[in-house]
Amino acid sequence: MKYVNLMVKSARRSKRRTALTVLSVAIAVFLFAALRAVLDGFDAVAAASSSQRIITIRSTSMIFNMPASHTDAIRGTAGVQDLTWANWFGGIYKDPKNFFANIAVDPESFLRMYPEVVLSPDERRAFLEDRTGCIVGDGLAKRFGWKVGDRIVLQPGIPYYGTQDYPFTIRGVYRSTSSAVDNQSMYFHWKYVDERSVQKGQIGWFVIRVADPDRAVQVAEEIDRRFANSPYETKTDTEKAFTAQFANMLGNLNVLLGTVALAVVITTLFVAGNTMAMSVRERTTEIAVMRTLGFPSATIFGLVVGEGLMMAIVGGAIGAGLARLTINGEFLGLSGGFIPAFGVGNRNVAVGLALSALIGVLAALIPATMASRLKIVDALRRVA
Amino acid sequence: MALIELRDVSKSYRRDAIEIPVLDRVTITVPDGDFLGLMGPSGSGKSTLLNLLAGIDRPTRGSVRVAGTEISSLSERPLAAWRARHIGFIFQLYNLIPVLTAFENVELPLLLTSLSKQQRRDHVTTALGIVDLSDRAKHYPRQLSGGQEQRVAIARAIVTDPTLLLADEPTGDLDAKSAGEVLTLLQRLNREYKKTIVMVTHDPHAAERATHLLHLEKGTLVEQVATASATA
Repeated sequence: MKYVNLMVKSARRSKRRTALTVLSVAIAVFLFAALRAVLDGFDAVAAASSSQRIITIRSTSMIFNMPASHTDAIRGTAGVQDLTWANWFGGIYKDPKNFFANIAVDPESFLRMYPEVVLSPDERRAFLEDRTGCIVGDGLAKRFGWKVGDRIVLQPGIPYYGTQDYPFTIRGVYRSTSSAVDNQSMYFHWKYVDERSVQKGQIGWFVIRVADPDRAVQVAEEIDRRFANSPYETKTDTEKAFTAQFANMLGNLNVLLGTVALAVVITTLFVAGNTMAMSVRERTTEIAVMRTLGFPSATIFGLVVGEGLMMAIVGGAIGAGLARLTINGEFLGLSGGFIPAFGVGNRNVAVGLALSALIGVLAALIPATMASRLKIVDALRRVA
Repeated sequence: MALIELRDVSKSYRRDAIEIPVLDRVTITVPDGDFLGLMGPSGSGKSTLLNLLAGIDRPTRGSVRVAGTEISSLSERPLAAWRARHIGFIFQLYNLIPVLTAFENVELPLLLTSLSKQQRRDHVTTALGIVDLSDRAKHYPRQLSGGQEQRVAIARAIVTDPTLLLADEPTGDLDAKSAGEVLTLLQRLNREYKKTIVMVTHDPHAAERATHLLHLEKGTLVEQVATASATA
C-alpha cells in the first residue's frame, strides 16, 4: 500500500499520455464487453431452447413462405404432438428506426406452444377474442410507453401485405420466463393479416412440438421427406439448431466478433506497452536514483507493473461500466424477433476487468524488465 | 576504527575490445567519523571510487570493505539492502523525483523499511528540520531553489541514519552562497551527528571543509593530506 502513492504520482507525470492510455484500454474493454454480450445473447437463447420444439422453414431460405396446406401434412406426421405457425410481418411503427419484431401467429396454438409467454387470464381471453388485438412484450411496452387498451398502427413492411395501415389494439403485455422468447416482440392474429394479404394462405415457419424429444431428429427428417421434390421443400431443425442457423446467417459470429475483439485487445496491448516503455525511458535517472537509494530490482519491476496495472484497471472499469450502461438490447432498440435480448452481465464485466488487468501486466512486462535491469552507473552517467 | 577499507582496488571499463583502466591498485582506509575529500582532475577516477564505496559499481579486482561488509562479493539483492541500510548518497544534480514533494522525496528511502506511516513522518520531519527546510515540506522540486533542492537531497540521504554519506560534487551546480550553506550543513552532519562523509569535489574551497583530502590522478592515489578543518 505504501507504494500506491508513488505509482499514482508516476502515472500522473504526463496526464495527457496517461489519459490516452486509460482511454485506449477503456475502448478495448468496451468493445470486448459489447461483442461478448451479443454472442452471449445468442448462446442464452440456444441454451434455453426447448428440446421438444422443432422448426420448419422453406429449404431455400426462411425468407420464403410455404402454403398453409403444409399444416395438415405436418400435423399428420408420426411423432408430432402439436404445431403452430407464424409469419414475419415486418411492420413499421411510425418510423423505420423504431424497429421491433412483429409477428403474425395463430394465437391459440402459439400460446399453447410457448408457455414461456405469460399473460393474465383476462389478457389471454381478450387477445384470443379480438381479431385485431395484439400482445406486446413488457420490454417493448416499456420502450414505447404502451399499455393495455392502447391502439397502435403498423405500416406493412412487406409488399404482399399491401400498402394500407394495420391498426391493432394492445390486449395484453406479456412477460417471458425464458431466454427462448424475448420481451421485445409484438404478436397478433395471423388471420387478420392473411385476409388482407395479396398472397393468401402463406406461412413463414412452423413450430412443432414432438411427443418424444429423443425422436426430434427423426420427426424432422420425416417432415422434410413429406415435402421432398415438391415446389415447397422444407428444412426442419430443432429450435436450438434454428437459432444457431439464424446467427450463422449473420456470418460466423463467434469467429468474426472474436477476431475483432482480439485485434482490438492486441492493438491496445501494443499502444499501452509503447506508452509504458516511453514513460520508463523518460525516468531512467529516477529509476537509477531509486536503485542507488536501495530499491531492489524486484521492487522497481513491481512499481512499473503496478503502474501499468493501475492504469489498465481504471480504463477497464470505465469501459466495462460504460458497456454495462449502454450495451443493452432494449436500450438500443436492437433486440426482438430473432435477435436475442442482450446486455453486459456481471460475468462480462468481470471478464472485461480481468482482461484489462492482463493488458496492464503484459504491456508493462518489457518496460518493467528494462527498468529493473538498468545498470545504475550507466544510467546516472547518461544524464550527468 | 576503520569504516572503509579499500585494498588493492582496480577498476577498468571495456569499450569494444579496448580495456580502459580507471582505478589502479588503490588502497585507502577511512576511519569512522571522518570527512574525506576526494580531489583530482576529470577522469582521475574520483566518481568511480565513490560508486564502488556506494555499492553501485563493482571493482575489477581488489577488496571493498565498508562497515564491516565485503560489498564487492555481495549479490544484487543483498547489496541493494545493504545500500538502503548503510549509504546516503548526495548527487551533484540533486536528482529529486519531480512529481514528489520535498516530504515525499525524503520519505522515499524509508519506504524500504518496516517503519509505520507515523514513524516515517517523524523521521522525515526530523531530517527536514536538520536541513532547515521544514516549511518547504509540501513544495515540489520545481518550486525550490538549487540550494534548497540540494538540502532536500541531503535530508533524503540522512533520513535513514546511514553509516556513510557519499557526496558526488554536491556543490558543483550551486552558486557560492548556496554552496557555502550546503558545505556548512555537511560539516555539521560530520561534527554534530558524527556522520562519516566522503565527498568528491573539484572545488578547493569545498575541499577545505573536509578533514582529510585524497588526490587521485589517472586512477592512482598521489597524495593524502590533513586539512585545516582536521584541527579546527
